[in-house]
Amino acid sequence: MKSRTLKTCVGLVLLAALAPIPAMVGAQDTSTPAVGALESRLDDERTLFAATISDTPPDDDLLELGRLVAMGGAENVGSGMACITCHGGQGAGDGSGAFPRLAGLPGWYSYKQLNDYASGDRPNEVMTGIAQRLTEREREAVATYYAVVQAPIHRPLGEVDQGLMQWGGQLAAVGSAEKGIPACVNCHGPQGTGNPPSVPYLAGQYANYMAYQLQLWKDGVRDNDPMDVMSAIAEKMSAEDMRAVSEYYRRVENPETTGE
Amino acid sequence: MPDKTLPKTDVVIIGGGWTGLTAAYELAHEGQRCVILERGNHRHDATSFGAPEEHDELKYALRATHMMDVRKSTLTFRNDTSQRALPMRRLGSFLPGEGLGGAGIHWNGQLWRPLPSDLEMRSHYENRYGAQFIPEDLSVQDWGVTYDELEPHLDFFEKICGAAGYAGNLNGEKRAGGNVFEGPRQNEYPNPAMKQPVSSTKFGKAAERMGLNPFPFPSANVTQKYENPYGAQLHPCAYCGFCERFGCGYFAKADPIICVYDRIKEHENFEIRFQSTVMRVEKSADGRTATGVTYIDADGLEVFQPADIVCMNAYALWNVHLMLVSGLGEPYDPETRTGTVGRNYSYQTIASVDAFFEKEIITNPFMGAGALGVIVDDYNGDNFDHSDLGFVGGAYIACKQYHGRPISYQPTPEGTPRWGAEWKRAVRENYLHHADMVVHGSSMSTPGNYLDLDPTWTDAYGRPLLRMTFNFPDNDRKMAEYVTNRAVEIAQNMENVTSVASSNLAAVGSDYTVVPYQTTHNVGGAIMGTDRNTSVVNRYGQMWDHHNVFVFGACLFPQNLGYNPTGPLMGLAYWTLEHLKNDYLANPRPLMDA
Repeated sequence: MKSRTLKTCVGLVLLAALAPIPAMVGAQDTSTPAVGALESRLDDERTLFAATISDTPPDDDLLELGRLVAMGGAENVGSGMACITCHGGQGAGDGSGAFPRLAGLPGWYSYKQLNDYASGDRPNEVMTGIAQRLTEREREAVATYYAVVQAPIHRPLGEVDQGLMQWGGQLAAVGSAEKGIPACVNCHGPQGTGNPPSVPYLAGQYANYMAYQLQLWKDGVRDNDPMDVMSAIAEKMSAEDMRAVSEYYRRVENPETTGE
Repeated sequence: MPDKTLPKTDVVIIGGGWTGLTAAYELAHEGQRCVILERGNHRHDATSFGAPEEHDELKYALRATHMMDVRKSTLTFRNDTSQRALPMRRLGSFLPGEGLGGAGIHWNGQLWRPLPSDLEMRSHYENRYGAQFIPEDLSVQDWGVTYDELEPHLDFFEKICGAAGYAGNLNGEKRAGGNVFEGPRQNEYPNPAMKQPVSSTKFGKAAERMGLNPFPFPSANVTQKYENPYGAQLHPCAYCGFCERFGCGYFAKADPIICVYDRIKEHENFEIRFQSTVMRVEKSADGRTATGVTYIDADGLEVFQPADIVCMNAYALWNVHLMLVSGLGEPYDPETRTGTVGRNYSYQTIASVDAFFEKEIITNPFMGAGALGVIVDDYNGDNFDHSDLGFVGGAYIACKQYHGRPISYQPTPEGTPRWGAEWKRAVRENYLHHADMVVHGSSMSTPGNYLDLDPTWTDAYGRPLLRMTFNFPDNDRKMAEYVTNRAVEIAQNMENVTSVASSNLAAVGSDYTVVPYQTTHNVGGAIMGTDRNTSVVNRYGQMWDHHNVFVFGACLFPQNLGYNPTGPLMGLAYWTLEHLKNDYLANPRPLMDA
């Protein structure tokens, strides 16, 4: 019921919302999906953060604004930097470790990360400044936008030691009784699907990014997850454990998170 | 004759749950070679209890996969001696464990201390209300150990669990927001209290307006990352709603595997043998000591394990069963009221109160934890004046949020049909708008409630089954009704409440049965005390008749207090171990004169 209302509301305003940015409208031949295509994914549970934090349906032009912010245009001259510069228009990111995949992350999760970057709860030299220059509504909008775009994973993903993969898969599935590491699947779900709204997916995320985040948790730099549970887990992991589980999840094929 | 006899060990421990693993930890570090015999299998939080597999309500909560196998051994049950007892062929009223960690794996983590007056129950009531106050048909006794003696041990076990809560009595200073009725604590809880959901917050506010003293549930669901005194590292609770009947794959609910076993398993003095079911404790020729235990091993062989000390750490009921089949102590005879083994079995009264909210109040019951909620303890123990009430004992009232699981959590207001379209509609409409309250009460012992061996039925090994003869005494029924009415009053005083319903499993006119789940708090049957004519073990947990047999667990409780037993029984375990280590080992003998 809720999702139907949500869709209808968005649909009603499409005409008005599209007017100021004609270049974006109906760009079917580009890789950027049209608003109509995105709209159909708005009832995906990954975007439901807007419905859970408030009973009011999202404003009609939220999605359009989100795409605008991603492109670098927003009220305070945007963030000064467009999301797409590093994360891509589809939220594909890259494998450097600095720029994670954003496509299909739960809207609430991305929104919270932006708030945490802005407040310094998740310190990051680049993202803190960007997030601080986004308005509350722009954070919500761009998080919604990236929740509904899709970015297929390009393969092959490169060679990896099979022993490392085996160990990573084991940590993911059953953790380690010896080290007291609980399994990732406890919270991140089977096949690394994530558990919206607050738990991100792991399947298809970049290995370098995940390994780096685990290290940040271990070092106490990042502690913005619910109950700080990731610090307690990461502290028990060696660098090899982190690498293993990250390389493993990078290679998990999961249509729900990789769009394949 | 056994199939084989093993070399002698210093200590043999029957059962690998909370008390057994703790005994092994403490005694192994005293240089004692410890062998634990566990009838179930190895399992571990990381490899055995991880979600999403563990979050299978049908498999674990309803089909009791972590619990004991009643096809091998069970008990028979009757309400009174006029009836013929029949075997309990499915788990129902209570859920004993099996396997590493025992029932400590699937507990909720509700971690209580006894009230000082609970431990001196008979003398306390007689002092306050007069010698005739306790009804004659109750065999209520003092425990033989005081709160002050147990306090350091209760404190230590809370540290082992990383308990979360707020002290209501810190070194004698009463503090609002905690349990102002509790005995003095030397320390604050090791971790801060849990975050409270909507329903229990509203309950707490209503109780406060009524002049009562609400406080957060004392919890072994850990609230922040924590290292216990044994070096175990626990993680913060995720409020996943799968505590009771489930193991915790998050390392967040304190359990005997992560808190104790992982920290002792590599020790040179420690050994545990799985699939090893103890048949009996063997006695010396003069009967004054035990020589070891005989068990069936994983290959089905009968093995004799000699030992200098025998620790009985099975579940409360099975400790009593083992004593009876081994001829330890003197069996209780309800006709003559002589003998002690099986005497003073008691249970726990449970009533529930449901409140339903207006639709704008959303309670999200799926965000739950085993010890999540707010408590009112004003009507527990002797925290209130019993002069004109005609009963002893009391209950705590909890507004709790354990879980919102699809099969078992279907709250509907009174008058709803029990099936069909109307029922479905009521479940849909009320699932998110419900407060779940329990009245968790004491149960007094009586001469007629007891445990013995069944004359007819045997277990898979040919031993007579344990026979339970039990019904709630009138005292408990009166108490449960009184406190349930107080709970209903609080529910009616909560804001935004549209209707209230209640149900009392110890109601006047109804008989106790082993079928509906009530609680896994079976206590007594091998009780402690200071008089060998009315107790099986002395105040140190040592058997009067066999001084090298030490007994652990809730079977020691002379009657049941209004609290969950794990905290009190672990306090007793550390108390027993202190005297075993510091007194008995150097000079094995009866620690009390008979």
